[in-house]
Amino acid sequence: MRTNILGIYDDEDVVLKAVDKLQDNGVKVADVMSPFPIHGIFEKLNLKTRMPLATFLYGTFGVIVVFAFLYWTSVVSYPLKFGGKPLNTLSFIIIIFVLTIFIGTLFTFLTYFIREKMYPGKEVTLPVPESTNDKFVIVVSKTEEMTDMDVKNINKLMKESGAVEIKESDVNYNS
Amino acid sequence: MNLDIQFKVGSKFRMSMIVLIAVGLIAIIAGFMTGEAHRTWANLLLNNYYFLSLAIGAIFWMTMQSITQSGWSSSYLRIPQAMGIYLLVSFVLWFIMFFGVHDLYHWTHPEAVENDPILLHKSGYLNLPFFSVRFVVFFLLWIFLSLRIRNLSIKEDTEGGTKFFEKAELTSKILIFVLAFSFSLFSIDWLMSLDAHWYSTIYAIKKFVSAFLHGTAIVAAIAVILHMQGYFPQLTKSHKADFQRYIFALSIIWGYMWLSQYLLIWYANIPEETVYYVPRIMTEYKTLFYAELILNWFIPFTFLMWNKIGKTNWGLLTIIAILIIGQWVELYMSIMPGTVEAHNITYIEIGSFLGYFGIFALVVAIALSKANLIPKKHPYLMESLHDDH
Repeated sequence: MRTNILGIYDDEDVVLKAVDKLQDNGVKVADVMSPFPIHGIFEKLNLKTRMPLATFLYGTFGVIVVFAFLYWTSVVSYPLKFGGKPLNTLSFIIIIFVLTIFIGTLFTFLTYFIREKMYPGKEVTLPVPESTNDKFVIVVSKTEEMTDMDVKNINKLMKESGAVEIKESDVNYNS
Repeated sequence: MNLDIQFKVGSKFRMSMIVLIAVGLIAIIAGFMTGEAHRTWANLLLNNYYFLSLAIGAIFWMTMQSITQSGWSSSYLRIPQAMGIYLLVSFVLWFIMFFGVHDLYHWTHPEAVENDPILLHKSGYLNLPFFSVRFVVFFLLWIFLSLRIRNLSIKEDTEGGTKFFEKAELTSKILIFVLAFSFSLFSIDWLMSLDAHWYSTIYAIKKFVSAFLHGTAIVAAIAVILHMQGYFPQLTKSHKADFQRYIFALSIIWGYMWLSQYLLIWYANIPEETVYYVPRIMTEYKTLFYAELILNWFIPFTFLMWNKIGKTNWGLLTIIAILIIGQWVELYMSIMPGTVEAHNITYIEIGSFLGYFGIFALVVAIALSKANLIPKKHPYLMESLHDDH
């Protein structure tokens, strides 16, 4: 069972400063929860994502698949000349363009849901439900090696940086 | 951060630009003297339009920042404002073109129009008096509105407050409608009417997007170059990424417009429309025809997709340099097949471009040095100075 130390804040700028302060004191901030995307938090936490790469690959896949489909239908399977145009034509571009956007978006969306283990009707496992409303939460995971002194120190740093509440929780929100 | 930054035009820069202007002048005079008058007029048109569209694009970019109330760009607004000053010079330079209209435009010859039902039909719009009136009215409107935005911004430097910002926003709202209408007709008048029998309803928007794309690219280039010389200390990766996104998105729109025009004409295959593309694809223009698409759309699209490139100075400047060539090729392809019908590049092309480049760079640099480089009391300035993520 993993336990997290949660510092609850009620202002965006205070959170950004608090993250800096914790990191300056050698505390590893695992996550920040917020009701809306905070500019710059992603780079601050040194999080990594392969989502853009995935979208690019889906887009490339989309181009190939849609072209193959169009080629098969209008050149191989049912070659029908109309308007004096070649069978393998430029007008493919529009369909490729539109379907590539669609495939890229849809697959990215599905990937996101699978990676986050989300599905319709899933039970909410938020340690601080207010973080979808008006509260910001800084998450520091409590590891085995942490002594009581370390934990106290983290509590102190959070308090100093403007946390309105600090608590520990073992809700495994990231499952 | 000290916001009182005054740009100084270096004497070396000034001298080299004057040399370029001299080179241009010699090339143009030589062009007229050696019996290449037709070709020289075509090149004057190309270069006049090239640098005018950069100024128009930059002004349009500036109005966009004002209307969307963008914070990140507020410390760079003096660059498009300075590029707007070039309109004054451009106005004078365009007047020279009126001596060459008979050389370039088929429809200006009354005897040709008389026996030509298509030109006769168009003569209600395409006639020299109305053409000249449109030209003067459009230029006066652009100059008046863009100078007004610049003056408001300079006044803001001393007095502060949000009054000037709001007035500039209102002027910008008027200016986008004026630009959309007038610059469309302007490119139809001066470029599309070279092929007077042909028309495309998407021509104007394509030229407008092209101006927006290349104007924005030049704003970004000036910002990055001045940063490398130490003038914009606040320029971070995040600003470059914003410029990159602008160029990336606009190059997609450029490609979209290119395809919209080409695909419809290709698909309908009506002789009166394909007449425009036949000489461009079936003759030696072929290489430049594809180069236009590759330089303006394919390269920016492919490389700026990888956002690491746009975040480095040299990556961004390289892409912009490609776009600068790209716009030249685009205008060459718009003008030359309908006028000169030669497909080589001679000293006239290179010389006159260098000359105009010298004028443009000198005017913009001097205009930049006339005011504080950063609009220091802009209401959103802090957002731009601390945009570090």
